[in-house]
Amino acid sequence: MRRRIFLLVVLLSLPVRPLRAQDITLPLKSGSVRFAAIGDMGTGHKAQYEVAQRMVEYRAKFPFDLVIMLGDNIYGGKKPNDLVKKFEKPYQALIDAGVQFRAALGNHDDPNERFYKFFNMNGQQYYSFKKGNVRFFVLDTNYMDPKQLEWLEKELSNNAGSDWKICYFHHPLYSSGAFHGSSTELRLILEPIFLKHGVDVVFAGHEHVYERVKPQKGIYYFVEGASGELRAGNLRQTDFKAAGFDSDCSFMLVEISGEELYFQAISRTGTTVDSGNIRKTVHLQPTPPASEERVKPPAN
Amino acid sequence: MVAGTMVFLIGLAGAQCVPVVAWALQAKPVSQEPQAFDDFTQRVKDYLKLHKTVESSLPRLKTTKHGKTIIDRQHALAQKIAEARSNAKQGDIFTPEISEQFRRVIRAKFHEAGAPNMRKTIRQGEPLTNVQLIVNGAYPENLPLTTVPPTLLINLPQLPREVAYRIVDHDLALLDTEARIVIDFIPGAIP
Repeated sequence: MRRRIFLLVVLLSLPVRPLRAQDITLPLKSGSVRFAAIGDMGTGHKAQYEVAQRMVEYRAKFPFDLVIMLGDNIYGGKKPNDLVKKFEKPYQALIDAGVQFRAALGNHDDPNERFYKFFNMNGQQYYSFKKGNVRFFVLDTNYMDPKQLEWLEKELSNNAGSDWKICYFHHPLYSSGAFHGSSTELRLILEPIFLKHGVDVVFAGHEHVYERVKPQKGIYYFVEGASGELRAGNLRQTDFKAAGFDSDCSFMLVEISGEELYFQAISRTGTTVDSGNIRKTVHLQPTPPASEERVKPPAN
Repeated sequence: MVAGTMVFLIGLAGAQCVPVVAWALQAKPVSQEPQAFDDFTQRVKDYLKLHKTVESSLPRLKTTKHGKTIIDRQHALAQKIAEARSNAKQGDIFTPEISEQFRRVIRAKFHEAGAPNMRKTIRQGEPLTNVQLIVNGAYPENLPLTTVPPTLLINLPQLPREVAYRIVDHDLALLDTEARIVIDFIPGAIP
């Protein structure tokens, strides 16, 4: 009995080792789609550079070749040197390694950033692209005019297959952040479209925190707006918050394999602050009622 | 900077006819006086023609790794447009009749049930204050582009890609998004 107590004391006195830099919770499955997500990063300040450095370190163990950018890619001045200081320099190692960045525009971005080759927007303010079994839809939520909504409907309709459908943009439809909160007007417009076309996951920024939202009507929402900027202590308790982190800057790693999506949110210091996996929602296609079958004209 | 407000350069307008472009087909403004919006749409087309004429005198902008190329071209386009419409003044596009129609539609939207959500959208987009708009003046590059409520956009005439509405304080601005200059504005349009 004494020996057991002694062992217990020894075990309890051992330092608890939190998940530190390069501890990967993702399964690294063969042939999986892997990417990082960053938002509200383009400050050119120390925190952005440190997050970028963690990304490089993590990439050594979790090789990813895509980074989705959730807007506010370049804050403040838009002089040529700003693009270097606030994008090229912090992510130089990733750019040199051939990692592709795909940007969404935030309210601090200039729409002319769509011509900046490193952002891979090909001159478009909103666009879609495919990677493996994932179709990404990138929106400009600063200016959600009918033209863009029409485009989104069409793109989603044209890609109605079994691929994962991931939307990303700047303004979060759900956010527990005290500074901005949820973009409710945008939600009223976009959510019905997402539901109609079976969007699986949505990433947004704008709120300078990390947050995972409980599935809303079957859709998973993440906010990653703290990859350079931070509003410390800004997360409120809401009934839709599943997890959050607001005490340091962060970024996300995501892996998709088949019907599973695995995620890991990592702080500027390399601590894993959230992780888990979600299974792709089965979107049932409406079947025609039996009566319609019966009224088919008989073949001659 | 003048008296704590940011002031921008002035230029002038040229108004010519323009071929009908696809975006016009999508315009379905909610309007009791559609002729005012038709006139507005025509004036925007005229502006777009000027924009394209000026643009054609500059090297075509392709995607580039050189930020300087993008920014230099934006500045050159802004300067040439300002020169081409150096007599432009507030009200050239938003004439009194057009402005009144815009005000009516905007007022109506801000009296509907969705008004709090629209105001929230404007607030969340980090609205600009103490900014004085001037026709042909540059939209300040270090300030965020304000977010326009989507339910308001649905009710305003649709614009070509090169032009966008922006809300600046209580003013509704018409912005050339490629040159980043103010084309015209309606003072106090947003209640």
